[in-house]
Amino acid sequence: MKNLKLAAHSSSEKTIIPVGDLEIGRDFVVIAGPCSIESREQTMTTAAAVKASGADMLRGGAFKPRTSPYSFQGLGLEGLKLLYEAGRENGLPIITEVIDPRDVTWVAEFSDILQIGTRNMQNFSLLKEVGMTSRPVLLKRGMYSTLEEWLNCAEYILSEGNPNVILCERGIRTFEQYTRNTLDLSAVPALKELTHLPVIIDPTHSTGRLSLIEPMSLASVAAGADGLIVEVHHDPEKALCDADQALTPVLFDNLMRRIRPLQAFMQNLPSCAMAC
Amino acid sequence: MQLEDIRHKIDNIDREMLVLIQERMGLALRSKKFKQQTSDTDREADILARAGQMNLDLVEQPFTRQLLETIIRESKRLQEEDRELVAFQGEHGAYGEVASRRLVPSGAYIPCMEFVDVFRGVEEGYLDLGVVPVENSLEGAVTQVNDLLTTTGLHVIGEVNVPVRHCLLATKSSDYREIRQVYSHPQALAQCRSFLMRNKLEPVPYYDTAGAAKMLARENLGAAAAIASRLCAGLYDLKIIKEGIEDGPSNSTRFMLLSKTPYDGTGDKTSIIFAVPHQAGKLYDVLRLFAEAGINLTRIASMPLRSDPGNYNFFLDFEGHHEAENIAGVLEQVRSLTVNFKTLGSYPADAGIDAPNG
Repeated sequence: MKNLKLAAHSSSEKTIIPVGDLEIGRDFVVIAGPCSIESREQTMTTAAAVKASGADMLRGGAFKPRTSPYSFQGLGLEGLKLLYEAGRENGLPIITEVIDPRDVTWVAEFSDILQIGTRNMQNFSLLKEVGMTSRPVLLKRGMYSTLEEWLNCAEYILSEGNPNVILCERGIRTFEQYTRNTLDLSAVPALKELTHLPVIIDPTHSTGRLSLIEPMSLASVAAGADGLIVEVHHDPEKALCDADQALTPVLFDNLMRRIRPLQAFMQNLPSCAMAC
Repeated sequence: MQLEDIRHKIDNIDREMLVLIQERMGLALRSKKFKQQTSDTDREADILARAGQMNLDLVEQPFTRQLLETIIRESKRLQEEDRELVAFQGEHGAYGEVASRRLVPSGAYIPCMEFVDVFRGVEEGYLDLGVVPVENSLEGAVTQVNDLLTTTGLHVIGEVNVPVRHCLLATKSSDYREIRQVYSHPQALAQCRSFLMRNKLEPVPYYDTAGAAKMLARENLGAAAAIASRLCAGLYDLKIIKEGIEDGPSNSTRFMLLSKTPYDGTGDKTSIIFAVPHQAGKLYDVLRLFAEAGINLTRIASMPLRSDPGNYNFFLDFEGHHEAENIAGVLEQVRSLTVNFKTLGSYPADAGIDAPNG
């Protein structure tokens, strides 16, 4: 890890990123919302529901990196404006993925945080472009990447002058077929040793199974993650993407009811006697 | 040319045609002020005959006739509606029109080239009402308008404060990623400077914000955008890429509604103009009267007297009607202390104007 001048643990105090009233890195943040922005009704309904259950931020894809070129590609700027409106209406900062360097400044006009998806983790021209904006960047782990490769990508953003990078573990490819990916929860404490950047968990894409989202979310809290990013859809059966892994608002509400007490419990847990 | 290109051109022509018909309707409404009655059969025959002389092989005579007759019928219907003609300076979609629509919701909005055209049109009775900007919260007084207020005999019968919310507009078929140049009035470009820099857009000065939007639609420029009001998007069939792109805290412009006759309701705000003789303490003497009578001033501005350099006109706005008991007495005394005293009028205050943080 010798090339990490800015991302390394020793180079800085823990990074705290202010977004609206939130302080990512200090507060435990829950980001929720649909995989993609499909319509005004879907966006508004889902935003109001996640707000009611206590989410801190709203997510939603307007530019979708899809495996197939024939799958729904997202509503683009129009979708982003819907997300912006839904965020404003519910008092939730928003986050959305950017996939094209030409879109970066435009997405930054509307979105509070820019997300770099797993497939673009090593898209260096895109990383440099988001590094030049003043918006925080959520950098997802590449599905085949080591921690070192991942941190080097964070270094690209930091070196352009943008100090606000959030790392997001979203599962890696292993030989296991039952889950969509394997959630590498050990990445959380490992990254705490390696870097000062906040780390959050995506329990939706990492498992790809509805039944595993809640247990892995709770495990993330216990592992010391700084937050979660979860897919919620007001009517998952009709979702244009990732239909079988989005939580309904009711399931999300149940999840929140269990996360907050655990989080409080973890905060009151006596710290370990030996320096770890 | 592919079918898509052809259709695209057709759409543009349709839009252009409708914008022109809108302008024609505005002119028809203006022409009514010069006529005794709506119908003028000689003129109608003349219009149809003139079109008959044009030799367009695809636009045949019977169709031309039908089309023009339909347009004439509609313009006569509009003339009979007796809408008030509200004049503003600028092209359709200018912030002056935004103010006009707020002040006179069911008017016919008539664009004028210059402020003086607005004043003259209302004075001479060719236009019913005028809407002019008097001051902007960032840029200060609009001197040309304040000058015209002192020299013409129009009454102020209303006011409105219009927040200036600039929009980045582009043609519907354009791709925002292709935009390189942005046309607008230099003041609007200056107010959006950091937005333009962030997105690496080149500002191109144009004579008017709404004029820039109109040009963009007409020329159908794909790699360009305009900064103008939200109203322009609807008027010129443009899409809003982003609303509220100004850098600073949003600014607002105060507009006044002008008429030949005074406001006939009970206004709660009054505007006056006066000059004082060049003697020590004269302005103080005037202001003291307002203070002692407990009259709340809402604006005081000075402007050099064009006829007498070195001397100034003072514009005073205050709460209350000029005929109210406590105020009428004060104004009588002000009149005796000042020269060129003039009451512009009493009118309903815009509720949003003097509210804290308003």
